[in-house]
Amino acid sequence: MDQPPPLAPGVLEALRQVVGPKWVLTGMDARRTYECDGLTGWRALPLAVVLPATTAEVVAVVRLCHQHRLPFVPRGAGTGLSGGALPTPDGIVIGLSRMRAILEVDLENERVRVQAGVANLAVSRAVDAAGYFYAPDPSSQSVCTIGGNVAENSGGAHCLKYGFTTHHVLGATLVTPDGRVARLGGAVPDGPGYDLLGFVVGSEGTVGIVTEVTLRIVRQPERVQTLLGAFPSVDSAGAAVAAVIAAGIVPAAMEMMDRTTIEAVESTMHAGYPDCGAALLVELDGPAPECSSLFEEVRALCQANGATEVRVAHDEAERARLWRGRKGAFSAMGRVSPDYYVQDGVIPRSQLPQVLAGIRDLEGEFGLRVANVFHAGDGNLHPLILYDRRRPGDTERARSLAERILDLCLAVGGSLTGEHGVGRDKACQMPKLFSVSDQAVMLRARRAFDPLELCNPGKVLPTPRLCGERPGIYRPHLLETAGVAERL
Amino acid sequence: MSTRPPEAGPLAELVGPGAVRAAGAADAIGDLRPSLVVRPGTALEVAAVLRAATERGWAVVPRGGGTTLLWGGRPHRCDVVLDTTGLDALVEHAPADLVCVAGAGMRLGALQATVGAAPGFHQRLMLDPPQGEDATLGGLVATRASGPLRQRYGTMRDLLIGAQFVLADGTVARTGGKVAKNVAGYDLDKLLVGSLGTLAVIVEVALRLHPVPPVSRTVVVEGGEPRELVGFLAAVRRAPVVPSLLEVLWPDRVAILRVDSSTAGAERQAEIAAGLHPAARVVDGAEAAGWADRGRGRPWRGEGLVAGVGVPLAAIAPLLEAVEREHQRGGPVDLALRGGLGVGEIRLAPDPAALERVRLAVEGLGGHLDLRRRPAAASDLRTTPPDPVARELMGAVKGALDLGGTLSPGRLGWAG
Ligand SMILES: Cc1cc2nc3c(=O)[nH]c(=O)nc-3n(C[C@H](O)[C@H](O)[C@H](O)COP(=O)(O)OP(=O)(O)OC[C@H]3O[C@@H](n4cnc5c(N)ncnc54)[C@H](O)[C@@H]3O)c2cc1C
Repeated sequence: MDQPPPLAPGVLEALRQVVGPKWVLTGMDARRTYECDGLTGWRALPLAVVLPATTAEVVAVVRLCHQHRLPFVPRGAGTGLSGGALPTPDGIVIGLSRMRAILEVDLENERVRVQAGVANLAVSRAVDAAGYFYAPDPSSQSVCTIGGNVAENSGGAHCLKYGFTTHHVLGATLVTPDGRVARLGGAVPDGPGYDLLGFVVGSEGTVGIVTEVTLRIVRQPERVQTLLGAFPSVDSAGAAVAAVIAAGIVPAAMEMMDRTTIEAVESTMHAGYPDCGAALLVELDGPAPECSSLFEEVRALCQANGATEVRVAHDEAERARLWRGRKGAFSAMGRVSPDYYVQDGVIPRSQLPQVLAGIRDLEGEFGLRVANVFHAGDGNLHPLILYDRRRPGDTERARSLAERILDLCLAVGGSLTGEHGVGRDKACQMPKLFSVSDQAVMLRARRAFDPLELCNPGKVLPTPRLCGERPGIYRPHLLETAGVAERL
Repeated sequence: MSTRPPEAGPLAELVGPGAVRAAGAADAIGDLRPSLVVRPGTALEVAAVLRAATERGWAVVPRGGGTTLLWGGRPHRCDVVLDTTGLDALVEHAPADLVCVAGAGMRLGALQATVGAAPGFHQRLMLDPPQGEDATLGGLVATRASGPLRQRYGTMRDLLIGAQFVLADGTVARTGGKVAKNVAGYDLDKLLVGSLGTLAVIVEVALRLHPVPPVSRTVVVEGGEPRELVGFLAAVRRAPVVPSLLEVLWPDRVAILRVDSSTAGAERQAEIAAGLHPAARVVDGAEAAGWADRGRGRPWRGEGLVAGVGVPLAAIAPLLEAVEREHQRGGPVDLALRGGLGVGEIRLAPDPAALERVRLAVEGLGGHLDLRRRPAAASDLRTTPPDPVARELMGAVKGALDLGGTLSPGRLGWAG
């Protein structure tokens, strides 16, 4: 492989002057820590890693990059699952991990202002005692950063009811790729002019570095009720999902697991799930009487659609138990299969039975097993393709199978990604969903922020240079192996 | 037919002679009088018209229902009005997915009637904008319009999940899709929402629908000082009550709250809300309908200019006090505020001094003000500017998508 050109003379020294020598990492081991995000098949060594502590330092670092035409990749906790924070070998990584101050908790105005490196869960923790929470709850929430959430427009199991990151961000400080500081949005919605903040959320770190964010916090619901329905098949569970939606009920969360998943969960963690073809976990929340009456409706709908058993959580401990199998599904999979790849596709939820049947056909065609555990309420599928990289051809087969599943999703009017982003991983698949002119317009908008394309180049949009390469093998993220977080 | 102005020819070649006509008095945008009105029937025709206009340096102002052409600043020029009402087909309604796709020229009333009629479902687009049922979907996107229901369901920013649009150079493109959960590609939807016809002509939209809850209960609080009314708003926020709307009307000194839920749920929430203020009471039947009427499209009903205002929640009381002072001065003033959000609209005399007083008060409270209905000829009314760097970026976005400044030049004020 070609060696990338080293940093121009003086650049390292200048970076050290900005952030202090300790916070410019150049050693091989240190850089290696940053060579990939949660999608470990894609790796590249950055020239250096810089860890600024303030917006002013980020500005100074970005200005240096701009002056020297040095590409840079913003990075939060590195839990992304699409190679969004994958370094570029001819550039540096700018890590936000030192910017973890909660700047202001303003209960009266129901908002919290944080630095971008603050972990998602820290926000809810800061307002929990006052009866509030921060709604978007990616299952990596104990580690992933608010800056990363903003970049990916992250969701979680409860976004069915509460919406995604974009619905909960009121304002952000953006350091533009040429080092200007823009204050987007603010404390009050509907600020003047174009909704640049709305564009920045979900732009995957390609239009600047977010250093501060103002978040909306939400009042904790009066009541939360959870049930687990056991169904003979994913089709009957899918019918129950459709019936709940048709009844006009919007649960806080509605998650499904198929037999493969349940068996893995049972054999490894003994979650006590019923032996069945599919399990549906439904959670409702809200004012007590409404929550309870809808809950009874959901229970009846499960039974009417063939549930052989409906378990209801009577207290917080039982609720945690019902969620345990769901939350542990991915690490359980890691134990029953040497390797797995998580796909993230979206379908209109009415197409659930058809697409799941299609996935079953693909299992046969490829000779690989696929476990389905997903956000059924909003049609966000996470098929896990199980394989063994030591078996010749398995890795390639798994990858092709994953792509075919996406094709199924797109064929029924779905999307390439519901929450993990395009990043590097799916950049080359964008043409399946967007025409050349769609992509050209996106590029024009992107270049309005970053005409030189220095900020996280090679992500989101395909280029001819990128789309010949193939990723390496998948390995579970450190956090998953450690059991700190699950992959949803 | 009136005589055709010289420019009509090239456009008639593109869209057919029946779809181009000379503009009349009814087509004026305030004091601006366009030359032509074009009514294309397809996205490709829109593209052809825009390309032709851009090549010739004509300024184009897209028009849907024509209900909000005085929003924002005064366009510098308008040669061609591009009437989108020919793009009014329902493309798809998937009730099981709570999604519909429709031409941007479809009127809100027509959409509601269609989606409301799906057998076995009871759903609608949860948007009650002041311009009413005649507004087109594209216009509602471009103005980011919303009404009292915003309290629970948000604005077009929250309901739009995909769009097809045409740039001034004729590029036809799509963004988003027709699933609510989707992070593929840049979120250009967000740029279109609130762009006031300055970035692109929206030709098709995909929208999220919501189920209509079966039962509604209304609670009204009348009378009292700003701080008392605001005490009620704060108490509602802390209570297990999820209002669909929570409107504050001033100088009426009224707060109207509505909950929509299951039977038991609505009943109890209304009871709780009614217990949060001595003057609060549950109203029903004709009286509830009367209050709904009173709140609907409120500040637009009288004469004068209408401004959008937004303040932090904690500044609602001082905002009401400022509005009360304006009321005491004797000028017409009429505020409708989403009480759980701090955003709303205010009607004032078409007098720059009144607007300036309110703007300074709102900005002093950490909020902002923009124009929703300006006096026809006024072009020098000041609104809250964006952050200076954000403004530069907005100019860059405008330049990236409409380099020649074809679309509604000047309407956004500072960004072009
Ligand atoms: C076990 C596991 C479970 C997960 N579960 C979920 C889930 O339930 N829902 C979900 O949506 N995602 C989930 N994810 C994916 C991931 O956690 C989210 O995408 C998260 O938002 C990434 O945050 P991060 O801080 O790790 O960002 P990184 O991975 O460090 O970066 C992600 C992207 O954001 C950019 N970025 C980071 N910080 C900034 C900044 N300050 N300014 C500008 N750009 C920035 C990067 O350049 C990159 O493009 C999961 C991941 C793992 C490993």
